[in-house]
Amino acid sequence: MKDNRSAIQRKLMGLVLVTSGVVLLLTCIGFFAYEFFTFRMASKERLSTLGEIISANSTAALAFDDAENAAEILNALKAEKHIVAAALYDKKGNLFARYPGDFPKYNLPIHPASDGYNYKSDYLEGYQRVIQAEAKLGTLYLRSDMKAIYTRFERYGLISLLVVALSILVAYLLSRQLQKKISKPILALAKTAADISTKKDFTVRAKKFDDDELGLLTDAFNQMLTQIERQNAEILSFNYALEQKVNERTLELEQANIELKLRSEFEETIIDSSVDIIAVFDRSLNYVSLNRSGKIAFGLADKDVIGKNILEVFPQVKTSVMYQNLVKVFDTGEMILDQRYTSLISHIIMQNFFIPLLDKNNEVYRVLVIGHDITEISKTHEQLKQLNSELEKSNLNLEQFAFIASHDLQEPLRKIQTFSQLLERDLDNKESIKKHLAKIMSSAGRMTDLIKAVLNYSRLSNEKGDYEEVDLKQVLDDVVSDLELKIIEKEAVIDAGNLPVICGNSLQLTQLFLNLISNSLKFSEKKPEIKIASTIINKREAMGIDNFNNNGAFVKLIFKDNGIGFEQHYAERIFTVFQRLHGKQEYPGTGIGLALCKKIVDNHQGQISVRSTPGEGTEFTILLPASLSPKRLKE
Amino acid sequence: MKNKILNNRYRKTTNGFWLFVVVLILSFQLQAQSSREYNIKAVFLYNFTQFVDWPPSAFSNAESPFIIGILGEDPFHAALDEAVVGEKVKDHPIIVQRYHDVKDITTCHILFINLKEESKMKETLSILSGKNILTVSDMPDFAAIGGIVRFASEKNKIRLQINLPASKHADLTISSKLLQVADIVR
Repeated sequence: MKDNRSAIQRKLMGLVLVTSGVVLLLTCIGFFAYEFFTFRMASKERLSTLGEIISANSTAALAFDDAENAAEILNALKAEKHIVAAALYDKKGNLFARYPGDFPKYNLPIHPASDGYNYKSDYLEGYQRVIQAEAKLGTLYLRSDMKAIYTRFERYGLISLLVVALSILVAYLLSRQLQKKISKPILALAKTAADISTKKDFTVRAKKFDDDELGLLTDAFNQMLTQIERQNAEILSFNYALEQKVNERTLELEQANIELKLRSEFEETIIDSSVDIIAVFDRSLNYVSLNRSGKIAFGLADKDVIGKNILEVFPQVKTSVMYQNLVKVFDTGEMILDQRYTSLISHIIMQNFFIPLLDKNNEVYRVLVIGHDITEISKTHEQLKQLNSELEKSNLNLEQFAFIASHDLQEPLRKIQTFSQLLERDLDNKESIKKHLAKIMSSAGRMTDLIKAVLNYSRLSNEKGDYEEVDLKQVLDDVVSDLELKIIEKEAVIDAGNLPVICGNSLQLTQLFLNLISNSLKFSEKKPEIKIASTIINKREAMGIDNFNNNGAFVKLIFKDNGIGFEQHYAERIFTVFQRLHGKQEYPGTGIGLALCKKIVDNHQGQISVRSTPGEGTEFTILLPASLSPKRLKE
Repeated sequence: MKNKILNNRYRKTTNGFWLFVVVLILSFQLQAQSSREYNIKAVFLYNFTQFVDWPPSAFSNAESPFIIGILGEDPFHAALDEAVVGEKVKDHPIIVQRYHDVKDITTCHILFINLKEESKMKETLSILSGKNILTVSDMPDFAAIGGIVRFASEKNKIRLQINLPASKHADLTISSKLLQVADIVR
């Protein structure tokens, strides 16, 4: 059945039907309950009455032991069809008679219980004493089934079902008519509202039916419509004006936007074209921006950086000066310039500017970091610094040299002057002339030697290293052959072990050996014994030696003699130019030999040291790199 | 009846000793049966007190005893005394009286008459006529000759025969319930 009634109509009818249905149901339940209990009680009473009658009738039968008569009396119960069983027990409690006559004995109680009627699970049973003139003669037992209740309930159920059905039908028919009273005005109102919302026509008005609350609602609705209509018109005109204004504004804004965009692009281009790394951080140390140079230097894209914390992007900077400076600027609000910072990320050397950006409350809200790459400048600077120190050293040497040279070179000159004056005075004395001239010539010769040595030394200072593989054995052989006459003269013994091949300047190394051996030959009073030994020191051992930074294997050369020796505190002085420990007459020499040796060892980036005891001998220890890479050469 | 059977058996002596034994056992049984029978009869006598109404004139006062008498030889022995001991009819305590002669009877309510001869019985009944006494006996024609209640043995059961006019004559009201279980004799 199609129901074309509206929702509210259905609801109203449902309300009526449910209410009446529930009321009827509750009434029925109450009625049934009442019936049930009263009927049970009535049944009990009836059974009890019946029991009294039967027991009164059966006294004589019990008294005079007439079982037949008793059975006859019980048989009268046939008229009551709800009595299913009955029995009489004699005074002693033995079964005397039963009804029906063929009712099985085992279904009856063996002995009677105390008086009274009670409901059992599906029947009602009871006992009643049989008394005649106050004397108990026996007991009557009665059992009634519950069919009476059930039959009655069936009948009632049928009746109440009919009544309920009829009532609901009547309620339905009534509600059909009565619901219109309420639903009609609401439906009219709803239809008007729906019409308005679909057609947007605010001129229609809802129809009013009664002067009740629904009538009031309709009136209020209509009033509202009138107001809406008026306001709608206002809004429309207002809207039009607003739209006009918005259009104008939009146009202006667009213009401004274009300008702004151009400017921003321009600034971005400038920032991006900077060779410096430019980054901006916010208070949480997140990257706000990083220019193109920065992205290239760190090898990152925008998405890896922007909006992320600096420690998230570069965890390694946590302990760096750069990070500390960044935090400091946020704290102090003062600009910081870090002149030299070696980046932990790209290993370039930078000059960092930390510039605070202030908001209108004068609080640091961002920090601009500009990193200027000074790697090249710094390298040049380093080189310059090194050159400078070398220059200073050479200057010092020169000063020293000038001071000593002026003293030592003046000495033969003074002799030449002195002997020339003597010669001038003694021009007549031939013998004397000869003697003076010889002195002058000797001094001139010594002067020449000195100048030669000085030249030699200075040449060594300026000479550029020309390195090759040098067999030290060969060097020693050459030197020994040069000094052969002297060796024979002094009856010297030279004991050399195996000598290695190293990388160095052959001429300089020959000079080194020559100077050391000739010194040993010169400063000796007995037959010189010279021992030359060499050992290879590997890289790890070389690191252990004080003041000696070098990576690579070394050759350690030891020159040991049994000469006159010297006090150990002169060990430093003997390597200085023109420093002499003995008089020229005692041991002739220029005073440059050991200075030259030191120069040569320095040129080879080696080390020379000496240990000596007067009268016992001297031991020179020389460390030379086994191989010199071209880069490490001293230019 | 007992003697009759014995006599019959005695006549046929051929069966000898065994028959004698059988008869002896039977006789014991009968004796036992007889004593059981009188036990029931004693209870019945008591039960009459509940189903029969005596006129108030039968009692001298409200507490005077209710007397059950036995005339002639007493077949109940102690059974009757046991049946009524401590019992009352309304407020009248029941007592048992034994009489040898009908003339001894002054006040009595139920009288069990144990007489063998019918002529003697008739004489006794005529003496008792008009008194409020419920007369009871085993004698076969007792009800017919003017007695009120007779115990009749029938199929091992005791039936009652009641002479209703005699009871009316004695001014006794017998409950209809009692009449229901009895045979009425005119």
